[in-house]
Amino acid sequence: MTASVAVHFPLLSLLLWLPLGGTLLCLLFRHSGNLCRWASLLTTVAVLCLSLWMAFQSLGGNGWLFYEDAAWIEPFGIRYMLGMDGISLLLVLLTALLQVAAILISWQQKEHPAFFYALILVMETGIIGVFLALDLVMFYLFWELMLIPMFFLIGVWGHENRVYAAVKFFFFTLAGSLCLLLAIISLYLIHGGQTGEYTFALEALRQTVLTPGTEMILYVGFMLAFIVKVPLFPFHTWLPDAHTEAPPAGSVDLAGLLLKTGVYGMIRFAFPLFPGAAERSLPLLAVLSLVGIFYAAWVAYAQTDLKRVIAYSSVAHLGFVILGLAAWNQLAWEGSLLLMINHGITTGALFVMIAMISDRAGTRELEHLGGLWSVFPNLSAFFLLFCLASLGLPGLANFSGEILVLFGTFKAQPLWGGLAVAGVVFSAAYMLRVVQSSLWGESKVLQRSDDLGPREWLILIPLALLVVLLGVYPAPVLDFLREPVSLLLATGGMP
Amino acid sequence: MNPLLLFLIPLLPLLGGVFNACCGSRLPQRLVAAVAVLSVAGSFLSSLLLWPLGAGEGTRTVLFSWLQSGGFRADAGILFDPLAAVMTLMVTGVATLIHLYAAGYMEHDENQARFFALLNLFVFAMLCIVLADNLLFLFLGWEGVGFCSYGLIGFWYRKTENASAGRKAFIVTRIGDLFFAIALLWLFREFGTILIEQINARAVELDPLLLTVLTLLLLGGACGKSAQLPLMTWLPDAMAGPTPVSALIHAATMVTAGVYLLCRMFPLVSLSTTGMAAIALVGVLTALYAASCAVAQREIKRVLAYSTMSQIGYMFFAVGVGSVSGAMFHLLTHAFFKALLFMGAGCVIHLAGNENDIYRMGGLKRKSPQVFWLFLIGILCLAGTPLTGGFFSKDEILLTAFARGDGFSAILWGLGVLTAGLTSFYSFRLLYLVFFGEPRQAEKGHSVSPLMLWTLPLLALFGLFGGLLNLPHLFGGHQWLSHWLGQPAGVSLSLGTELGLLLLMLIFFGGGWLIAHLRYRRFPGDEQADWRSFLLNGWQFDRFYEFILVRPYRTVCRFCWQGGDKALIDGIMDGISRLCLHWGGYARKLTTGQVAFYLQGFAWGLLLIVGWFLLSAVK
Amino acid sequence: MIVPLEHVLFLSTILFILGLGCVLARRNLIMILIGVEIMLNAVGLTLVGASAFWQQVDGQIMVIFLMAMTSAEVSISLAMVVYLNRRKGTVDVRAFDEMRG
Repeated sequence: MTASVAVHFPLLSLLLWLPLGGTLLCLLFRHSGNLCRWASLLTTVAVLCLSLWMAFQSLGGNGWLFYEDAAWIEPFGIRYMLGMDGISLLLVLLTALLQVAAILISWQQKEHPAFFYALILVMETGIIGVFLALDLVMFYLFWELMLIPMFFLIGVWGHENRVYAAVKFFFFTLAGSLCLLLAIISLYLIHGGQTGEYTFALEALRQTVLTPGTEMILYVGFMLAFIVKVPLFPFHTWLPDAHTEAPPAGSVDLAGLLLKTGVYGMIRFAFPLFPGAAERSLPLLAVLSLVGIFYAAWVAYAQTDLKRVIAYSSVAHLGFVILGLAAWNQLAWEGSLLLMINHGITTGALFVMIAMISDRAGTRELEHLGGLWSVFPNLSAFFLLFCLASLGLPGLANFSGEILVLFGTFKAQPLWGGLAVAGVVFSAAYMLRVVQSSLWGESKVLQRSDDLGPREWLILIPLALLVVLLGVYPAPVLDFLREPVSLLLATGGMP
Repeated sequence: MNPLLLFLIPLLPLLGGVFNACCGSRLPQRLVAAVAVLSVAGSFLSSLLLWPLGAGEGTRTVLFSWLQSGGFRADAGILFDPLAAVMTLMVTGVATLIHLYAAGYMEHDENQARFFALLNLFVFAMLCIVLADNLLFLFLGWEGVGFCSYGLIGFWYRKTENASAGRKAFIVTRIGDLFFAIALLWLFREFGTILIEQINARAVELDPLLLTVLTLLLLGGACGKSAQLPLMTWLPDAMAGPTPVSALIHAATMVTAGVYLLCRMFPLVSLSTTGMAAIALVGVLTALYAASCAVAQREIKRVLAYSTMSQIGYMFFAVGVGSVSGAMFHLLTHAFFKALLFMGAGCVIHLAGNENDIYRMGGLKRKSPQVFWLFLIGILCLAGTPLTGGFFSKDEILLTAFARGDGFSAILWGLGVLTAGLTSFYSFRLLYLVFFGEPRQAEKGHSVSPLMLWTLPLLALFGLFGGLLNLPHLFGGHQWLSHWLGQPAGVSLSLGTELGLLLLMLIFFGGGWLIAHLRYRRFPGDEQADWRSFLLNGWQFDRFYEFILVRPYRTVCRFCWQGGDKALIDGIMDGISRLCLHWGGYARKLTTGQVAFYLQGFAWGLLLIVGWFLLSAVK
Repeated sequence: MIVPLEHVLFLSTILFILGLGCVLARRNLIMILIGVEIMLNAVGLTLVGASAFWQQVDGQIMVIFLMAMTSAEVSISLAMVVYLNRRKGTVDVRAFDEMRG
C-alpha cells in the first residue's frame, strides 16, 4: 500500500486539519465579525484549492491516491490512518465546494458570527475526516465531530421550533452512532481474541472470522448508524424538521454533505467488513429505498414549506442511491455515487436559493410565494435550472446518475428498476408544484425587490455550471469512480 | 463530407438557445429574434447540404461519449439515415418558417429572449430525437421537448391557468415517458446496448411475448408525446401558449415525436402482431375521438388542436397497419398544412382583435382576403380535398389498411373513413364560422405584421403540392418517399377497387362539406345542448382523470404526510420519548433530597449485601 | 493474643450498628456526624484486631491513615455544619432538601 503520487508531505493531514486551524483563527478574532468572515472564507477556499490541486495531481491514478499511517494510541491499537481513493476524493471536493457556498450564503450572519463560522469549520474537519479515516476509532471520532456543530447550528441559530428539531436530530443520529460504537468495540474484541492482535484498522478487521449470526448483529449495528444518517425510510423524519429549522448554511451542509457520510459509511465500512450479512440484507435495503422513493415523493407533494419539499426530495433521491447500492453491480454503483455527488450539488444549490428567496419574500410558505419570475428573472432562472436538475431532466446533473442507477438496477432486478422509474414521475409532480407556486403567477408582497447581487452570482454560477457539466459530461467523475468501485465490488477490498 | 458536420444541425439551435438564454435579456430584441431565426435557418441549410449523407444505409457519427460505465455506453451520436434525413429537413424547414413568423408575432412582447431561447431549445431537443443513434440520447431530446413545451405553453406565466396547462403537458407526457424509459431499460437488459441500429437488427432474437410487451411500452411512450388515447388530455390545454408555439408543437415537433419513435423502432415493433394491432387501434380510436370533439369546439385553436390529435391518430394507424412511408408521408403533409393553419389562426386572432371564440368571429374574408385564401388552402388539405397533399397521404393510409383484408383492419378502416367525413365537416365548419357571414366580434382587430404573412404562402405551396412527394402510381407518380425510405408500398389492389375506394372517400368528403355548408354558411346562433358540452369538454376526460387520479393522489399524499410521517413514525418516536419521560418521573421521585432517605437506602443495601454473603456462607 | 478475635469482632459489630442506628435515626446533623465517627471507629477496631490476630502490621498502618483522614473529614464537615447553620438557622437535615429531583 503505497501512495501512487510520490508526495511525502502529509497532504491529507493538512487537508484535514486546515479547517480546524481556521476555527482557531475565528475564535482568535471573535470580537470582529468581519475578520472572522474573511478568515473562514479564506480557509474554505484554501481547502477547496488544495483539494482541487490534489485532484489534478491524481488524475488517472490508481489505488490509494494519498495515504498516511502513523502510530497514535499504541496500547489500544489505534492508529492515525488516512487514505484517499477516487470516491473519497470526489466527496472531499464536494465538501470543500459546498463549504465555500455555505460561508458565502451566511455572509451576513449577525448573531455571534465568530462561533457560527467556527462551527462550520469544525464540521468541515469532521466531514473530511469521515471521508478519509481508515481506522475505526478515528472514523467514529469524526463521525461524532460532525454531529455536534450541526446540533448547535440548528439549536442556536435556527428558527422558531429549533430546540425540538435539534434534539430530534441529535437523538436520532446519536441512537444510531451508539449502535455503531458498540459494534466497533465488539468487532475489535472479537478480532483481538482471534488473532491476539488488538487493532482498529479497517484492513485488518476485514480478516476477522465471524459466524453468520454475529456478523449480522454487528452489521445491523453499523447499518443503523448509516441508515439514520442517509436517511432511509422509515428513519427519515428528523431530516425535514432539521432542515426547516436550520440556518441556510446548516441546510446546505446537511443535505449536501451529512447525508452522504451515511452512504460512504456503508460502502467503505459496513459492506466490506460484513460481506455475507450485506448480501443477505440487499433485498431489504432495496425494499426500504423503493418505499422511500415513493413515500417521500408523495409526502413532498403535500408539503407547504419550500424547505420541507426539498428535504423530502432528498429522501427520495437518496432512496435511488441506496437502491443502486442494493443492485450490487458496477453500473448501478457508479450511478449511485455519481448521483450522490450530483444530488449534493443540486440540493445544496436549491437550499442556497431558498435562503435567497425567503430573504426577499420574507416567507417560505408556498401559498404566500408566487410570481417571483416577474420581479427576479435572474434568480428565478437559476432556481428553475436547479429544480429541473432535481426532477431529473436529461442533460442536467441528477439525470446522469439516476439513469445509471436505473440501468444497473434493472439489469440486476427488473422489478426494482421498473418500480423506481415510476418514482421519477412523482418527482416531476412535486418539483413542478414548487416551481408553479413560487415562480409563476402574479407577484406578491415582497420585502426586497433587488435581483441577484454580486456575492450571489458568485455562488450560483459555479454551481450552475457544475450542474450542466455533470449532466452533459460526467466522464471525469466516472473515471475517478471506476477503479475503486470495481475493487469494492469484487473483494469489498481496498487498494 | 465530414460526418461530424452533422452535429451542426442540432448544435446550431442549441447555441442560439443558450446564447439567448444567457445574454438575450441584455441585447436589443431584434437581435435576439435574428439570432434565433438565423440559428435555425443555419440548421436547415446544413441539413439540406448534408442530405447526401442520409442516402442508403445512412451515416453514423459520434461526437463524444456521454455516459460510460460498466458495459453501458451512451454517446452523443447521430444516425443520419433516410428516415432521419426526411424528418430533419421537415423539422428544420418548418421550424425556420415558424421562427420567422414568431419574430413578427412576438414583436411587442418584452420577454423575447426567454421565448426565443426556449423555442430554439425546443428545436434542438426535437432534432436530438430525430437524429439520435441511441435510445438514451433520444430520451434526452424526448424529455427536453417536454420541458420546452412546459416553458412555452406557460410562457405567459402571470396567468396561473397558462402555467397549469404547461405543467399538465409536462406531467402527462412524463407518464408516457415512464413507459418509454422502462422499454429503454429492458432493451438494454436484453441486448446490452442501446444503439437503435443494433436493437432493430437483433430484435428477432427476442421472445414474442417480450416483444409485445416492449411494443406496448413504446406505444405508451409514444402516446404520451403524441397525445393519443388515453394520454391526450394535455394537448387541447396546450393552446394556452403563444400561437407560434402551438404551431411548433403541433406541426413540426413534439406530437410527431411519438410517430417518429414508432417508425424508428419499426423493425422491432413490426415483429409483434398484437402490438401492431394495439397501435392501429389506439390510432383510429384517437382519430375518431378527436374528430368528434373538434366538431363542437368553440375556440379556433382548440379545433385545430383536436384536428392535430386526430391526424396523428391516422399516422399511428398507418404504423399499425405496417406502412412507415404512409405514416411519414402524412406526417410531412400534415406538418406543412398544420403549421399553415396555426399560423393562419394567429393572423385570424390578430385580425379579430385577440378573439379566440369562433362564434364571435365571422366575415373575416372581406377584412383580409389574403389570410382567407391561405387559410382555405390549409382547410382543404386538412379536410382531404382531392388532389391536395392531405388527400394523398390520408388516402394512402386508408388504402393500405383496406388492402390488408382481415376483419380487424376492415373495421378500423371503416372507422377511419368515418373520421375522414367528420374531418371534412369540422374543417369547413371552422372555415365558415370564421370567414363567412356577418362580423360578430366586439373589438376592432389590428392588422397583421407582414413578416407573419410572408411565411405562409410557402407553407401553402408545400401543403398543396405535398402530394407529389409520394404520388401513387394511379396518378402517374413514382412514390418517391417510399423508395427513399426503402419501403416500396406493397399495396396491390385492382384498379377498380382503388377507384371505388377513391369514390367512397370523395363521397365522405363531400358529405362532410355539404352538411357544414348547409348548417354554418350563415351563423346559426349560439348552440347549447348537453351532448355538445360533452364533446366540447373532450368527453369529460379531464373531469374523469381528476376524479380517479388527481384527487386520490392528493389524498394519498396528504395521508402519507399526516398519517404516515406525522402520526405513525413521529408518533412512535414521540411515544418513546414520552415513555422515557414517564419512567423518568418515577425515578425522579426517589431523589427526595432528604439525607436520611438516602442513608436508609445505604442501610438497606448493606443489609442485602451482608445477607447475600451470609446466605452463600451457609450454603 | 489475650483478647480473642471473636470478642473484638463482636464489639466492633455492636459499635457499627450503634453508629448506623445513630446515623439513620437522628435528624440533627451533628449527631449524624457522630454516628459516622462511631462507625469509622468500629471499622478501625476491626482492623486493629485483625492485625493483632494475624501478626501483620498492615491493619495498624491502615488505622493510622484512617485516623488522619477522619480528623480531616471532621474538620471539613464541622465547618460545613457551621455554614449550613448560618444559612438556615438550623441543623436539622430535613431542612436541606434542595437537591430533590
